[in-house]
Amino acid sequence: MIADAALERLRLGDPAGALALLDAPATGIDADPARHLARGMALLGTGQGAEARSALRTAVALGDRSPTTLLNLAIAEDRAGDVERARGLMRALAERLPDWDEPLLRLAESLRSGGNAIEAEAAYQQVLELNPRREEALVALGGLLIARGAGLEASQLLLRCCGIAPGRAEAWNALGLALRLTGDLALACTSFIEAQRLEPASADYALHGIDAALAAGTADDELTRLAVSAATDPLNPVPQLARGMLLERLGRRAEAIDALDTAAALAPEAPLPAKLLGGVLSRSARLRDAEAALRRAAELDPGNPGLRNDHAAVLMRMHRHPEARALLLDLHERHGEHPSVLCNLANATVCLGLQDEAVALARRAIALTPDAVLPRRALCNTLPYHQDVTGAALLAAARACSLRLPRRDLGCFANSRVPDRRLTVGLLSGSLKTHPVGWLTVAGFETLDPAAFDLVCLVQNPVPHDPIARRFRSVAREWVETDALDDVALATRARELGIDVLIDLGGYGDGGRMPACAHRLAPVQVKWVGMQNHSSGLREMDWIVTDRWETPHALAELYSERLLCLPDGYACYSPPPYAPPVTKLPALAAGHVTFGCFNNLAKITPRVIATWATILRRLPGARLVLKTHQFSDADTADRVRAAFAVHDVDGGRIETRGPSSHRAFMGEYGGIDIVLDPFPYSGGLTTCEALWMGVPTLSLPGETFSSRHSLSHMSNAGLHGWVARDPASYVELALAKAADLDALAALRAGMRARVKASALCDAPRFGRNLGAALRHAWRVWCEDGAPVIARPPGRSNLPGDCFGQAASQ
Amino acid sequence: MQKLHATADADALTGRAAQLLAAGRAAAAGPLLAAARRLAPDSHDVAELGARLALHSASPQEAAAELDLSIAAAPMHPGLRKCRSELRWRLGDLDGATRDAAEAVVLNPADPVAKALLGVLMLELGRAADAEACLAEAVGDEPANPAFREGLAAAQEANGDPEAALATLVHGIVAAPTLVQPRNAAILLCMRLRDFRQAVDLAEAARAAGVADACLFGMQGHALSSLGRHDEASDAYAEALKLGPDDPYVRHLVAAAGIRPSATRAPVEYLRTVFDGYAERFERHLVSLGYRIPGVMRGVLQQHPDIAAGRRVGPVLDLGCGTGLIGLAIGDLPIGPITGVDIAPNMLAHAAAKRLYADLVEADVVEFLGRSERRWPLILAADVLCYFGDVADLLDATYQRLSPGGWLIASVEELLPDAQGTIPGNGDWALQRQGRYAHTMKYIRHAAWTAGFTIRRLNRETLRDEANSPVGGLLMVLERLAHDR
Repeated sequence: MIADAALERLRLGDPAGALALLDAPATGIDADPARHLARGMALLGTGQGAEARSALRTAVALGDRSPTTLLNLAIAEDRAGDVERARGLMRALAERLPDWDEPLLRLAESLRSGGNAIEAEAAYQQVLELNPRREEALVALGGLLIARGAGLEASQLLLRCCGIAPGRAEAWNALGLALRLTGDLALACTSFIEAQRLEPASADYALHGIDAALAAGTADDELTRLAVSAATDPLNPVPQLARGMLLERLGRRAEAIDALDTAAALAPEAPLPAKLLGGVLSRSARLRDAEAALRRAAELDPGNPGLRNDHAAVLMRMHRHPEARALLLDLHERHGEHPSVLCNLANATVCLGLQDEAVALARRAIALTPDAVLPRRALCNTLPYHQDVTGAALLAAARACSLRLPRRDLGCFANSRVPDRRLTVGLLSGSLKTHPVGWLTVAGFETLDPAAFDLVCLVQNPVPHDPIARRFRSVAREWVETDALDDVALATRARELGIDVLIDLGGYGDGGRMPACAHRLAPVQVKWVGMQNHSSGLREMDWIVTDRWETPHALAELYSERLLCLPDGYACYSPPPYAPPVTKLPALAAGHVTFGCFNNLAKITPRVIATWATILRRLPGARLVLKTHQFSDADTADRVRAAFAVHDVDGGRIETRGPSSHRAFMGEYGGIDIVLDPFPYSGGLTTCEALWMGVPTLSLPGETFSSRHSLSHMSNAGLHGWVARDPASYVELALAKAADLDALAALRAGMRARVKASALCDAPRFGRNLGAALRHAWRVWCEDGAPVIARPPGRSNLPGDCFGQAASQ
Repeated sequence: MQKLHATADADALTGRAAQLLAAGRAAAAGPLLAAARRLAPDSHDVAELGARLALHSASPQEAAAELDLSIAAAPMHPGLRKCRSELRWRLGDLDGATRDAAEAVVLNPADPVAKALLGVLMLELGRAADAEACLAEAVGDEPANPAFREGLAAAQEANGDPEAALATLVHGIVAAPTLVQPRNAAILLCMRLRDFRQAVDLAEAARAAGVADACLFGMQGHALSSLGRHDEASDAYAEALKLGPDDPYVRHLVAAAGIRPSATRAPVEYLRTVFDGYAERFERHLVSLGYRIPGVMRGVLQQHPDIAAGRRVGPVLDLGCGTGLIGLAIGDLPIGPITGVDIAPNMLAHAAAKRLYADLVEADVVEFLGRSERRWPLILAADVLCYFGDVADLLDATYQRLSPGGWLIASVEELLPDAQGTIPGNGDWALQRQGRYAHTMKYIRHAAWTAGFTIRRLNRETLRDEANSPVGGLLMVLERLAHDR
């Protein structure tokens, strides 16, 4: 009686109700197999495979060997994990009842969920031989055929299914996927639309629909359709979600964010809208909002490691490295070693000044997936900070990464080889904005002769209202947003734009698209500022912009590119209009010297700390101010102070400061007498900023490009005598400079005027130099005659490979 | 398959919609409000939100209908009144807007926004004293609100008390030192008062306080240039360009300062920006500069053979008519009907108010001449050629639109050699620091001949006074050959 009532509940789709009935105290003895069968089926319905198996085994043991009971037992065995036993039972039933398609269907499903696609396909075929109208088999077999690229075969099956069961949304969705494979894009769009009509709550169907519309070139129609759908059913978050993703793919990010925000507000408990919103916000550089959205998504779906990894990546971009690292370490502990987590962890770790650990993490990621690019990029991004890095090691790491980049032959270039014609120069970067790349390059591009050079910006993660982005935009003929383009599409687009000389300004950094250069975007490719820590190692990168201080002759062999050696510095500083005035030398009033370093903590190695500690020990009244984002975390600041204490320097003499506005940051140089440069990764923009604020930088250049930035900028500003050979001479030089306050005060008083008048800030002069260098690179290509010059790996720079005069410094 | 269902309630959706609308994101707020309305009947707050949203979505009629219904249902709701006041103002119904603003003040006398709104509307109605009283109360309630202070300063200026206006803005700077708006308003006021020294001081103070803004640096450059401090002006323009590289106004000034190579004419956007912002004070400014061209042109026209004989000449085309000063100067002569063409709609509004023009066209003069098929026996171009370096195309287009025997009367600023005897620019014309081009007489003569004109007259005239010295120019009367049909 109860069993019948329970089965009735099951038929009505209420397994929980059925279980409630069956859990009531039994009125008779509990030996009724029907009751156990009903209980097993109800438990299966509520996803309790092991409990269902127990109930169904009891039913069979009590004598119920009906096909239904045995098949339910087989399903329960499958769900409980005893796959072989389950499949054995299913096969036996299929043999016993050869006209019944259900056991074969269940067998096929078991095989499919177990990843055995070939046997699953065969089983589904058998089902369809018995019952050609079996919808589940048609859909599932269609899915398997799609997975192995057999679109035509799949579409025939799925068309049959849609004819048999036109109300089945998943069949229309699968048909759409199959038609995409066959290239019938218009029909695919129609299929997805029908799937959405039948199942408006499905995000997947809607997202498939926008993919198809984009491929079919009917994105505008799809946008309109989604807008109408959203207006008709304002409580459905799905049309807004799909609109948002379509708008993002069309490069209309502000509108995309509006739509996704709407979807997230309608469905605040669903992780998907929050995740997608977080992604678009992150790509729009709206990091605070992105972080909130991704944190929310991760909270809603705590078992999803990908979401937490994305969250950590945004935290890193916000310079919240300690939080990011803690999150990644936790992920690592819970989910085991995963290359992408290890890579993020390596990047977060290096930013906390733990270079040894970071490089080890990157190497572990490489060991896990030796042929993957991402771990190699992580090594290229961490190794330059390591205190024992050499130019050769960095070049080797860069080459190893470059070798693993995918390459597709997109054909020869048709650019006309006229040496003196007007050239189209492409700038490729995610940093054409308020960023060191922007500050150090924009003035150069503004002053390039427009009659000789036409600029095209290929921009990743654009920030439309950023003041420096607007400067780039105003001098560019075209502003192409590249987020929606994969590397091959990006290279193709660049070729369509007729770019003659491509300048990469991103490297392997955040938003960097240098990997696309492996496909060649232009006949001449040049590396310049933007994670330009050393050679790119990329054989398709023909030239690197440098100067005689960055790359003297003796170091030229550590580069895979030819050298475009500018006659002054390799960069041009564009000081911010809001910089406060230069103050008097603070030591005169304070009675002691204050050293400072406002560089990223990643650059501060144990050897740097030991060297600075020696200076402080020998100059007991002196203080050191360290300022960087990472010091907003008290534990990090404590750890760095403790590192000085190990060298007998009282932590009280080390002042750590966290982030501030850029103007306040510049203003804080008012309290600094001398900047101590870190090594081997020296200050770049930071050194220029200090100079603008009247503060010279004491530097210790090495052989890598990134170790020589300060040398270049100081020399370019006409400041010599601030360069040490080794840590010991660095200490002596610091003490000597600190001992001559009159000289320091005089230097400081005239510093801004000196820097303003120097080549470092002389944009028109820089523009001419850059123009001449780019013209040289172009002429070489015109004269070479070969379709594309690919330098053989391992070849060192020869004198004829350099543009400009390289000194043997 | 991921299925998504709405789980938010009406209050949550309304709250989020209000947040988004306050952030200017009407496109995101709209769908949420629509969803909220599906879940629950409208409250007054939802109705107000709906009306505000309609204001954003460029459907004022819909908003008006919605607001009328809501106010009929809740006449004592001050928010709805404020909202309708803004809408009516936008629709040009100043009286209605003022009534609603006044109601809002009565319903909630503590609301500074309502008082400020009423004040600004009073100012629009020409009731400057009432406006000042309302805005003074609003400023008293919220001393750091830059918009209230700007409104009060405007009212004080309208009441003939520019010193009080400047004091209001300067106090605003103290109250909100990080905001650029009160600083720019104060500098602009100084420029209007021709107190360039104080304008420069205010701009320097802004820079010292870390306020960096393209407009601010641009005005600083203007003020410095007016004081003859051209090198410093050049630096200020360069800073302005860094902050506003895509602003045609700034770019043109920078070109004028010699920082960038100049184009052959001023950008249309520059002219629109300058003259639209300038319309209110254009005539006052020109009169204060001793602007003489309308009078000189009138004198020339009196010598036109037909006019001298009492015969009517027309129709007449006034290129770059501005606020209609030429129309005013020649309105009593037997001339007309006059068509005025100008790029700046605000200037045209002033010209229209003079009721001297049969037709006024908002267009760039070259574009207008290019598309016009009419012929004119008389075309006037006072202070138009000074926004062109190369005048060949303009003269050619004008020639095409003149009737045979027709006259073009135009003025230019004369380009003279510098202290070293060198002619600046390309030797024919040069862009000057104030953003205008000057031309040599030789070049004008050559350009006129090249276009096919007969030169009836080309002589030096004083155009106006600048920094207490006369600015020299050329007045030309060019004629299309009578037999050239």
